Amino acid sequence: MIQASAVNKRFDDLQAVEDLTLHVKKGSIYGLLGSNGAGKTTLLKILAGIYRYDSGEVKIADKPVFETPDTKQHVLFIPDQPHFLHQTSLNDMAGFYKEVYTRWNEKRFQQLTKHFRMNPDKKLTRMSKGMQRQASFILTLSAMPDVLILDEPFDGLDPVVRQQMKNAILQDVADRGLTLIVSSHNLREMEDFCDYVGIMHNGGLLFERDLDELKTDIHKLQIAFKQLPEKDAFLSGLDVLHYEKRGSVLLIIVKGREEEILPYVQSFNPAIFDLLPLTLEEIFIYELGGVGYEIRNLIVE
Amino acid sequence: MFTLDTRSRVPIYEQLMDQLKTLMIKDLLQQDEQLPSVRNLAQELTINPNTIQKAYRELEREGFIYSVPGKGSFVAPLQNDGNGERLEMLRQDLEKIVSEFLFLGGSKDDLISLIQKIEVGEKEGEK
Repeated sequence: MIQASAVNKRFDDLQAVEDLTLHVKKGSIYGLLGSNGAGKTTLLKILAGIYRYDSGEVKIADKPVFETPDTKQHVLFIPDQPHFLHQTSLNDMAGFYKEVYTRWNEKRFQQLTKHFRMNPDKKLTRMSKGMQRQASFILTLSAMPDVLILDEPFDGLDPVVRQQMKNAILQDVADRGLTLIVSSHNLREMEDFCDYVGIMHNGGLLFERDLDELKTDIHKLQIAFKQLPEKDAFLSGLDVLHYEKRGSVLLIIVKGREEEILPYVQSFNPAIFDLLPLTLEEIFIYELGGVGYEIRNLIVE
Repeated sequence: MFTLDTRSRVPIYEQLMDQLKTLMIKDLLQQDEQLPSVRNLAQELTINPNTIQKAYRELEREGFIYSVPGKGSFVAPLQNDGNGERLEMLRQDLEKIVSEFLFLGGSKDDLISLIQKIEVGEKEGEK
């Protein structure tokens, strides 16, 4: 559904997006993760057709986006800072959206406005950040998009609204095959929401994968031995991402298949042995640690 | 119908599979009964429809359910063969629990009588 190949974007002396290739399947919820300043927002703005890219190709449903009103009819973007026309209310904005988006669903707009208890006549600029975000969700979902591009979408929403917004989006995914690409730092939340993730670092994509697949081939091992085996001999049979020794317990992050790791470790006769799946947060930390963006100990002065 | 633990390390689709299996094993979902649609579950649980589809796909692969195109998914007749993989997993779990039980001073006879009690219960359930 969304295809970006070898995209480059440069701002003066900053290479914000570098040779980036990404695919999002129809009906998928793609989580775009990455370090601060990795280029996530720039990439999303390129995908949404807001920025012109320097080289490469971006297509949504096999059509270009930039300066292509036909594509933009069905590709909606919610930026991290909600933006509305000057001095408008939710109703004013709805009037504007109705003119622009041919698929505008007035019934849905009324229903959502009522459900989220929004005052449609109040000036949007006088509302809180969370309320403004709620307003942009209502407007965007009422335009019946095929593709939603969201930049830190749930930031500033309370847990009750957050859950209901997600629910509304998920219904569109189930019913209409809505495709989403979502950037976020809230990995805990992304873990349940997304089915595909891509991790960005320094303008490039480190990797993109099915989330469950990703989790089935990276594991956390907690092992204790009565008689510690020779470290190198033991680790040589594993694809180790991270190794730590806490007292008599070894904490090892390894890549590989469970069926192969289990018998291997068992053959060393551990006293305690646990193999746990990683959380998305741990995957993020260890993968970025692998490219030199690790957690360094900081003792503040 | 389901409670998912979003803080657990176990992937959501596996949790969903386990709970559906439990319902089927306990006969709360009966043979040929229709499973909730992907859409309904996604709405009810606020989880990604692709995750539910994946759980259904895996259950079908393992022979727990079958799908009828255009109609949905249904509970398949319970089979006793082909559970080898699952049995091995359960055996390993048991081994862990039993070792701890015995280590903490639990008696072997207790365990044996427990097994007998469960077995009798199962048989009565069948009648």
